[in-house]
Amino acid sequence: MIQKSLLLTAATLTLLLSACSQKAPNIPDAQAGKNNVSDVTQIADKTVSISENTYGNENINNGKDGTNTNKYNSSSNGFQSIYFGFGDYGISTGMDNNIAKNSNIVSNTPGKIKIEGNCDEFGTDEYNYALGLKRAKAVKDSIVAQGVNAGKMVIISYGESNPVCSNPTDGCYAQNRRVDLRLVK
Amino acid sequence: MFDIKHIKERFLRILLLFLVSVYLFAVDATLKIEKDVEQRTRIAIVDASAIQSSAFFKILLSDFKISGHFLADSIHHNGDLNSNYLLPILKSKEYVLKYALIEHAGAKLIVRLLKASDSTEVFKKTYAIPTKDKIAFLAHKAISDVNDVLKYTDISWINRYVVFSRYTKPRHSEIVLADYTFNYKKVIISGGLNLFPKWADAAQKSFYYSAYSGLMPTLYKINIYTGAKEKIVTSEGMLVCSDVNKNGSKLLLTMAPQGQADIFEWDIATRNKTQITKFNGIDVSGKYVDDESRIVFVSNRLGYANIFKKAIHSGTVSQVVYHGKNNNAVDAFADKIVYSSRESKNSSGTHTFNLYLTSSMDSLTRPLTTTGANQFPRFSTDGSVIQFIKHRGRGSSIGYTNLASHQSLLFPLSGKKIQSIDW
Repeated sequence: MIQKSLLLTAATLTLLLSACSQKAPNIPDAQAGKNNVSDVTQIADKTVSISENTYGNENINNGKDGTNTNKYNSSSNGFQSIYFGFGDYGISTGMDNNIAKNSNIVSNTPGKIKIEGNCDEFGTDEYNYALGLKRAKAVKDSIVAQGVNAGKMVIISYGESNPVCSNPTDGCYAQNRRVDLRLVK
Repeated sequence: MFDIKHIKERFLRILLLFLVSVYLFAVDATLKIEKDVEQRTRIAIVDASAIQSSAFFKILLSDFKISGHFLADSIHHNGDLNSNYLLPILKSKEYVLKYALIEHAGAKLIVRLLKASDSTEVFKKTYAIPTKDKIAFLAHKAISDVNDVLKYTDISWINRYVVFSRYTKPRHSEIVLADYTFNYKKVIISGGLNLFPKWADAAQKSFYYSAYSGLMPTLYKINIYTGAKEKIVTSEGMLVCSDVNKNGSKLLLTMAPQGQADIFEWDIATRNKTQITKFNGIDVSGKYVDDESRIVFVSNRLGYANIFKKAIHSGTVSQVVYHGKNNNAVDAFADKIVYSSRESKNSSGTHTFNLYLTSSMDSLTRPLTTTGANQFPRFSTDGSVIQFIKHRGRGSSIGYTNLASHQSLLFPLSGKKIQSIDW
């Protein structure tokens, strides 16, 4: 009885272990030999192409309107750009004069002012858009602290989309870590 | 004294129990076959096209490789499509894929899968598309079907579109559709500053994107087949859709309604927003995790960019990553989290960014890359493959890592720098 069990076990073992070998499975005959014509219809559906060239009504002169005398100033309308250290969004004391000058112009300008935050190319753009916004807000808050009405200013971030230079140098990266100011037209 | 008969019977019972367990395991294994490295299916590819294309052959090879299920012969064999004759050298393989690519007004691909041992045909299909520019998708569909016929785990992600944005000049960008190899590319939106595209639905009929025209950014949804555009929301400062929940009813948005960027959950139907993070610094890149009950996100709340986790409806924030000096990109699938970490400068003076895989459930972490600047990690829709962009020296590539097989593929990227990508 025990010997028969052992033989049965050995036979079962042999069968099962051969079934466990990882060869590619046999394909049922029903699937072989089919000749289906298939259109990859969803992929083949024609997708659109849209041009959104309405953007650009603003004067994007990046400081080339003749009102700036500072070589590295990319603001317009007499404003001075504010520059930041790597990853920073605090206003350094070296930028106090620029803040004061900007506050004076904002106070004496009837229209709205746009404050644009920018970054260098390091890091993800989503992080850089947030960092650029922090910089723009820091500049706005500094001008408000000078007594200017906050409602005169609107802030926006351009992340790393608006470089003034593209050389892979520390000097160029520093120029791109900035806030620009300009009149809203 | 010892009862020998009793001991033998007990041994047999244990042995039979073991064998039954092995058998059940074998049955489970055949329901979903994952092949380890040594047992990938060896397959050769035979080109029967009248005009042969090495570019198309390479797409087929890439599809086989990234699946993780095949060891494809890289030799570009030639042969007759309808004949069952196979060169003796091919008999060492398990399967042979014969194909003929016909390009006329559009393109047609005929494939036959034969068993190498006896030339039995196990699969035959013809694919056609009306325009030649999408020829790469013919290859992807064919290989995806071959994979399915052989009952390997699904790789249908290779059929999907990639959508990405890239800068064309300062404050201008374009949004582009591509296949995963970037052989196919088509500009969907040109002109203006349109960024951060994010697929709106699993069928890839629409995507969200941020338009930065005028004073305030606006989130739109666009149908890629009809061009129909829907305005979702406008927010001062910045506006990015970083994730969409599974049924498409809710979005994770980075927005700054008071000039302070935080992460919000936006309900498409009610147009209500729920603020998830409240921090006076930077919180961005929210991604659903743990059955959409939590998010992982990037924050500088410790003084540098790092990865954190928070339940959507409670206030506690917990740190996910405890290494690295700057972890500023994250993606999640189920409980898996992938992130990009800035590491020390290499010998050429440039920083490396490497990808790491961790979990929301434990702290086990493993690196996925070791060289270059690897960014934009993105899980495939089934979580099995991670897409990323690698910058190394003056060149860039789009890369894919199969998490099960540990295989990686890189495809060269040319043109302008990618701003954002979704898959």
